[in-house]
Amino acid sequence: MSYSEPVPNRSSSNMSSSSRSNATPILHAQGLGKQVVSGDRPLTILRDLALSIAAGESVAILGASGAGKSTLLGLLAGLDTPTAGELSMFGHSLGKLDEDGRAQLRAGRVGFVFQNFQLLPTLTALENVLLPLELSPTVEAESRGREWLERVGLGERLDHLPKQLSGGEQQRVALARAFVTSPSLVFADEPTGNLDPATGKRVIDLLFDLNHESGTTLVLVTHDHALAGRCQRCLQLDDGRLAPLDLDEVKA
Amino acid sequence: MTATTDSLATASVGSRRMHWLRLSWRGLKRDLRAPDVRALFVALALAVAASTMIGFFLDRLERGLERQAGQLLGGDLVLEQSRPFDDDIRQRLIEAGLTVGEQVDMVSMASRDGSFQPTSVKVVDDTYPHYGEVHVARQGRVERLERGPAPGSAWIAPRLAQLLDIDVGDSLRLGETSLDVTGLIEREPDQQGGFGSFNPRLMMHLDDLEATGLVQEGSRVEFELLAKGPPEAVATLQDWLASLAAEGVEVQDVRRDRPQLGNALARAEQYLSLAGLAAVLLAGVAVAMATRRYVDRHLDTAALLRCFGATQRQLTRLFTLQLLWLALVASMVGAGLGLAGQAGLLMLLGNFLPMELPPPGPVPLLLGILTAMAVLVGFAGPTLLRLKRVSALKVLRRELDPMPASAWIVVLMASLVFGSLLWLYSGDLLLSMALLAGGLVMLILLWAVGGLLLNGVLHLASRLPGGAYGKGRAIRLGARQLARRRQASLGQLLAFAVTFSAMAMIALVRGDLLTTWQAQLPADTPNYFAINIQPDERNDFTSMLEGAADSRSSLYPMVRGRISAINGNEPQQAVPEEARGDNALQRELNLTWRRELPQGNRIVAGDWFGENSAGDWLSAVESSSSGSDKVVPISMEDGLADRFGLGVGDILTFTIGSADISGEITSLRDLDWDSFRPNFYVIFPPDVLERFGHSYITAFHLGSDERELQNRLAEAFPGVSLINVEAILERVRDLLGQVTRAVELVLLLVLLAGISVLYAALIASRPMRAHESGLLRVFGAGDRLISRIQGAEFALLGLVSGVMGALLAELAAAGLYMGWLDLPPRIHWALWGVLPLGGAVLIGVIGHALSRSVRRQTPMASLGLLGEA
Repeated sequence: MSYSEPVPNRSSSNMSSSSRSNATPILHAQGLGKQVVSGDRPLTILRDLALSIAAGESVAILGASGAGKSTLLGLLAGLDTPTAGELSMFGHSLGKLDEDGRAQLRAGRVGFVFQNFQLLPTLTALENVLLPLELSPTVEAESRGREWLERVGLGERLDHLPKQLSGGEQQRVALARAFVTSPSLVFADEPTGNLDPATGKRVIDLLFDLNHESGTTLVLVTHDHALAGRCQRCLQLDDGRLAPLDLDEVKA
Repeated sequence: MTATTDSLATASVGSRRMHWLRLSWRGLKRDLRAPDVRALFVALALAVAASTMIGFFLDRLERGLERQAGQLLGGDLVLEQSRPFDDDIRQRLIEAGLTVGEQVDMVSMASRDGSFQPTSVKVVDDTYPHYGEVHVARQGRVERLERGPAPGSAWIAPRLAQLLDIDVGDSLRLGETSLDVTGLIEREPDQQGGFGSFNPRLMMHLDDLEATGLVQEGSRVEFELLAKGPPEAVATLQDWLASLAAEGVEVQDVRRDRPQLGNALARAEQYLSLAGLAAVLLAGVAVAMATRRYVDRHLDTAALLRCFGATQRQLTRLFTLQLLWLALVASMVGAGLGLAGQAGLLMLLGNFLPMELPPPGPVPLLLGILTAMAVLVGFAGPTLLRLKRVSALKVLRRELDPMPASAWIVVLMASLVFGSLLWLYSGDLLLSMALLAGGLVMLILLWAVGGLLLNGVLHLASRLPGGAYGKGRAIRLGARQLARRRQASLGQLLAFAVTFSAMAMIALVRGDLLTTWQAQLPADTPNYFAINIQPDERNDFTSMLEGAADSRSSLYPMVRGRISAINGNEPQQAVPEEARGDNALQRELNLTWRRELPQGNRIVAGDWFGENSAGDWLSAVESSSSGSDKVVPISMEDGLADRFGLGVGDILTFTIGSADISGEITSLRDLDWDSFRPNFYVIFPPDVLERFGHSYITAFHLGSDERELQNRLAEAFPGVSLINVEAILERVRDLLGQVTRAVELVLLLVLLAGISVLYAALIASRPMRAHESGLLRVFGAGDRLISRIQGAEFALLGLVSGVMGALLAELAAAGLYMGWLDLPPRIHWALWGVLPLGGAVLIGVIGHALSRSVRRQTPMASLGLLGEA
């Protein structure tokens, strides 16, 4: 684990373990709402939303296109601020933190996987993986980066630029980047949205393997029921609210 | 325990700082893969190259002048007048504790085997030189000597040796004596800047002077006393020196009168500085353009880093450090280029430089780095601030870009910084503000004219025939591309137009100006001057010329005298402030007398001397020598009178030798200085100046088949100096060529900076271009068509820039012709052909080459590029 700017009480949150599911939730939302002004009239995207995710859980958030999945993900990750309600991450209320404070809370503890990979085009695979480690001095950052790229099966392609990699390979680089800081929490936003089904399946297998091995909490946003079914818990986003979804029902 | 935690904390702060330095350095290294960073790098390096190239050169010159002032002057104190110094003056200097040397300067004819050359003779004694060394070549080896030539021998400039076909070991004739050439002068320690002496040097010993018979009453000869000694010794003489100065002795004190660079060199310096700053400005524009793309691209990096937990401060630190590294490395590369460039300048201008220069100092390097930082802050700063404000949410929602900085803020900031740079380099706040304001007004004007021109050409291009698949199509589409990026196109157009016109102007000055001026002189314009004709040689000289020279001026007597009072007052006090430094007040004027108005002169006020008043002058002369203040009438040149604020009725007092003569201006004359006839500021009536020592001057024309007369004249009149005007003009042309080549070297940097603007603009528009060509390809356009369209776009840009450059150059040339040379302006057709065509080819080829990587992309990649950034 790497240290950057001091964050209050952060040492406690490092002890994430799947066995402590009854302790403080890693993510907790109460009465969460988001309104935006579109044109002249206000548009409510999320309303009175409640959510609690324990450490080590894997949770899928399902929703149709345009249901506000990305908005919710942005709020949960602290990238955006809600217009109503309470939200806490690692036991810290995000409402009390400004954008920089929220960023510090994320540093080293939150990983991201995006639908469009978000690799920087001028950086090699290895450099892309090292990017989150660069925010604070880290011992043996490079060997960790190599290790993770090997784990995703790209140990031979460290120096390739994104444009020299296929979509599936790019997303695998993104996976290595998400896990390289040994985060407690990983957000995945439609990680297979830009991939063909076969490639997508391999990437998803890898994501769940890594998640399982490192005991990370996973929040997966998708419209794909099959994919959601691989999580321990499924939530459906509909009309701005979250409702639990029966796993068996999903799998059927 | 506390101590331990403290030391741990400091260690981690230190290592964290190192971490960010390392991080930013690594970031820069991998960022150099991106073309926008490369463009930034190139532009910054060019800005530094331009500023350090000029900076190093001027700094070396400046320090050289400062350190070697005494050497350049020839001593710590130099007295000069047109007749020999009395012994008691020399004695007084020696008593004050100074070492005194004597020197005589004149122009005379050196000859060998019936071939004659005018030479600038410097006669020195055993004390020469007080400071420095003479570099003398003999037997192929350059010796550095702390003495002058021995009695009986002479050292000559290599050019004189070549002209006379003479070598070390031969002898030459000077006046009535013969001297052995024992060395070729490579460098004199006290040579004053290059334009001063057009005739090649001959240096000889004072002991041989009398034998030459060249020093006669009325000859144009300068006598100097060169004194060396501590400042205190000179200080004790201040009052006495002031009284000497009042008597007409030119006094130069190394502490007060720092030797100045020659006029031409000083002018060249200004052009160099201006051209250098123009390169910095263009590089700044390139930096501004490249920064837009840099920021666009790094918005994603910034957003991602925000996602990963970076704070605004960390982002600011990261990007600032990264750009600082960039500026630093670019400065180093630029300074390397600058060093090479100043060496080039030194090579080109070496002939003018009066001395050996000290090695390059560190100040210009620091100034160069400062320039790079300033350009970065001024031209990129406002745009860069966007990076800090990026929201992490942008990784999920692409449209969430922070607002770009307003164009006004960018321009304002850039103007402020560039204005400060102008101030820093010129040291003149008012001038900088005027240049900046003038530049902005000029920019608006040029912007409007450029816009009109662009519209015109685009309109023409759009109406090209050739159907949907003909050759005209590529040009039409290329024109449309230009029109779509109108603002960027206009910016590049101006940059290239100004650069092209500057280059054209330089070429015109070098080639056209002198030729045109010379061509408008009548064919029989005198091309020889003869000076130092003694009164007893006068008739023989005239009769020898008669029949041989097809046109000649009259013979004019010449007496040297200094203006010592104007209307009874100290001259410096009597003239307007701006005329106080006028050359005509500093040294002795050539005075003549004459009964008739000289040919080519025109009375513009008052009346020429009347016939019947001759008696009055005589009585005036007689009474003036007996102490009365009767005055004689004089005629003055209109221009000088104007400068001094004088008119008919004003009274000038001249000191000639030890006598004073006062004259009342009774007429003002307008005359043509280009006539190549002897021209005089002041003309006296006859019978007034005859009693003073005088010699005669005349001018005549020799056709190319009559040149042997020159040798006959020189042989028959060894004391007479013949000066070939054409040879001098040839020399001026040479020197002008060297100066303009130096300016061209700097203009090359300006052109490179212009190309960096093109490169930066290309990079800024790259995603859009890639998108466009991707779409075109999807619609079925082939490689060749796309390549042609892009070629046509840049060729059109070059064409319009060339037209506008020709327009600007033509306007400037017309100004020069009318204002300076009094010639009707003429159209330089070649300019209108070469600039547009050359511009089209140059910009077309470079633009086409630089955009190759865009064309190489597959449509999929091109179309994805916009989304993928």
